[in-house]
Amino acid sequence: MLKKQSFFKIVLSLAVCISFLAACSQNQEGGSGKSGNDNNADVVKIWHWMTDRQAAFETLAKKYFDQTGVKVVFETYAPTDVYKNKITAAASGKLLPDIFNPIADKRELASYINAGYIADLTDAMNDGWKDVFFEKSLTQNMFTDNNEWNVKPGIYGVPLDVSTLMIYYNKDLFTKAGLDPEKPPKTWAEFIEAGKKLKAAGIQPFVCGFGEAWLIGSFAASYQWSLFGKEGIIDTIKGKIPYTDKRWLEIFNLFKEMKDNKMFASGIVTMVNKDAERTFAIGKAAMALNGSWGVNVYKSMNPSLNYGLMYPPELPDAKYPLLVFGGDGSSLFVNEMSPRKEKAIAFLKWFTQKEQQVFLAKETLNIPSNKDAAQDLPDILKKFSESVNRTFDTLPVLEAWQVTNYINLNLQSVVIGEKTPEQAIAEIQGEKERQTKK
Amino acid sequence: MMKATSKEKTFNMVFILPALILFLVFNLYPLLRTFQLSFYQWNGIDKDMIFVGFAQYKHIIFNNPAYWKSMLNAGYITLLCLTLQNGLALLLALLVNRQIRGENIYRVIFFLPPVLSGIVVGLIWKFIYDGNFGILNNWLVSLGFTSFSDFAWLSEIKTALSSVAVVHMWKGFGYGFIILLAGLQTIPTELYEAAEVDGADKWQQFINTTVPSLIPVFTMVTILTILGAMQIFDLIYSMTQGGPAGHTDVPITKIYQYMNNGEFGYSTAMAVIFGLVLLIVSMIQLYASKKINK
Repeated sequence: MLKKQSFFKIVLSLAVCISFLAACSQNQEGGSGKSGNDNNADVVKIWHWMTDRQAAFETLAKKYFDQTGVKVVFETYAPTDVYKNKITAAASGKLLPDIFNPIADKRELASYINAGYIADLTDAMNDGWKDVFFEKSLTQNMFTDNNEWNVKPGIYGVPLDVSTLMIYYNKDLFTKAGLDPEKPPKTWAEFIEAGKKLKAAGIQPFVCGFGEAWLIGSFAASYQWSLFGKEGIIDTIKGKIPYTDKRWLEIFNLFKEMKDNKMFASGIVTMVNKDAERTFAIGKAAMALNGSWGVNVYKSMNPSLNYGLMYPPELPDAKYPLLVFGGDGSSLFVNEMSPRKEKAIAFLKWFTQKEQQVFLAKETLNIPSNKDAAQDLPDILKKFSESVNRTFDTLPVLEAWQVTNYINLNLQSVVIGEKTPEQAIAEIQGEKERQTKK
Repeated sequence: MMKATSKEKTFNMVFILPALILFLVFNLYPLLRTFQLSFYQWNGIDKDMIFVGFAQYKHIIFNNPAYWKSMLNAGYITLLCLTLQNGLALLLALLVNRQIRGENIYRVIFFLPPVLSGIVVGLIWKFIYDGNFGILNNWLVSLGFTSFSDFAWLSEIKTALSSVAVVHMWKGFGYGFIILLAGLQTIPTELYEAAEVDGADKWQQFINTTVPSLIPVFTMVTILTILGAMQIFDLIYSMTQGGPAGHTDVPITKIYQYMNNGEFGYSTAMAVIFGLVLLIVSMIQLYASKKINK
């Protein structure tokens, strides 16, 4: 009896071990061909981070199933950094879904392509598909001849929408401060003057999610384009122009001027954009630098918010046009190793046609990447879609992320009064030299 | 004592096998892999990893002041936790140990913050500290401190790190409280009775009876506090993201930042260095407590 019991226990223990090992190895066999753990050959799986669009995506997926019999499943993972980590881990484990986005800059995107995780869509795009998109929306997903990352020239991603950064302003608060709500400031001097009047009226002039470093960096980058132009920026990245250049000093002085005139909302340097959006939506700040997605966000937070749009104010001595961050918005990429690659491409083709894009634009208030679909937008989104032509050009080289991070941190330091602009640019140059040596 | 036969040994091994596999897969393998990766330059995606030896370690040690600043920030939070948090935990444990009514209710109340999610706690406290809507400023203004009406606790260099530390202490004192209370309850009452017969007052009883009896417990609480505070991440991530201008960055946020920017090799080297620092601190602590116990 005892022997029987022991035998039973051993068998049970071994069964636990075997099932455990089997669970660990289950998805290794098929590599990414298993497509995000799903073994169903008819299901195209998409991993994305756009929580606000999930319902609209699911509606379109159902429509596609009704039309073609192909099931498409959208799975949301948020926030974006968590999503990004999931994609990286899935790539390492060869468990990527059929369609995904690595949320990467061009350098990282190149790594994904060179490692064979992302499909080359050039042939499919050359079949007339690429003509439906805004040109700028494709550039981020495109690699040209002799690119510095040695990626085969071609188009690798499908843009879903385009987005740009502009300054929203609250018309009611402008009126309260004695400003003309139909004539927002166009020059830097007018911008500062408006800030002073708003502050005098007890209104916080400017808010933005500067806690998310890329937003403070994007605001500064508009003036970088305005003062340096494309060649100047490339020369800075290549080290031919130092960060101690007087034009960089001028950029940092703009932030100091805003600080000196108390234009920043309380806590701006640790504010994430969601908090900045809330601050603007409930009328706690008069101006907000935000993306075109803000239209949908503000509508959900405060449907009666009365606002207009303006470009970041121009500098009088700028040699080049002032550009804004943006161009491409959200893109999707096809898993090169997916056995459903063709089905995935076919779905994305359908997904970016006018009818679906009009539906998405209407439901989610984002600017569609399809040019034709962008014709029937509300006025405020039309202004955004017009600004797509004024977005930064794609650069053939990229600054080391550590240097970019240093720029953003030092901008924060100037905003909180910890450093002078002179100290800030000297520190950035120091980091640039450290990275060059590395 | 009878020696186990080889059959019995095999039989026993089968039972520990599941736990052993779990340990090997989820503990030992990641540890060794981390150590291995720290010698390579790799972005987590590329097929090729470039062996760079100790170059990344050298760069972190000599050319990455931001990393060492983040270590100091974590050290500052740890110092506050060791003193204020554990002081509060000891005080509350002493009070609850006096066989008061509703002892269990206090235990539950004090142990609630530690079991809450760090991200949720961080977000709630972020609202409390907020310069635009925060209830802390509203309360201070209602007390007459009108200059605090739009004070951004988490964005001012002077207050950001301490504000985060306060939340960490609020969240963490319950652990220390429970362990210290358990320690207090193991001290035989006879010791106090003997001390009382010898004429010792309450303070003398505390210094000469309670404290020496609690030294092993203090050691454990101290080590847990150091490890917990040095590895703070979720609160910082949800409250400041390391800002303003890196003033609340701690080692884990730096490691996370580098990993998020495709520096897998470099960030694992940072993690190894951080692990060594914690190991050294813990060993010093153990050594010191052994010396005191002797």
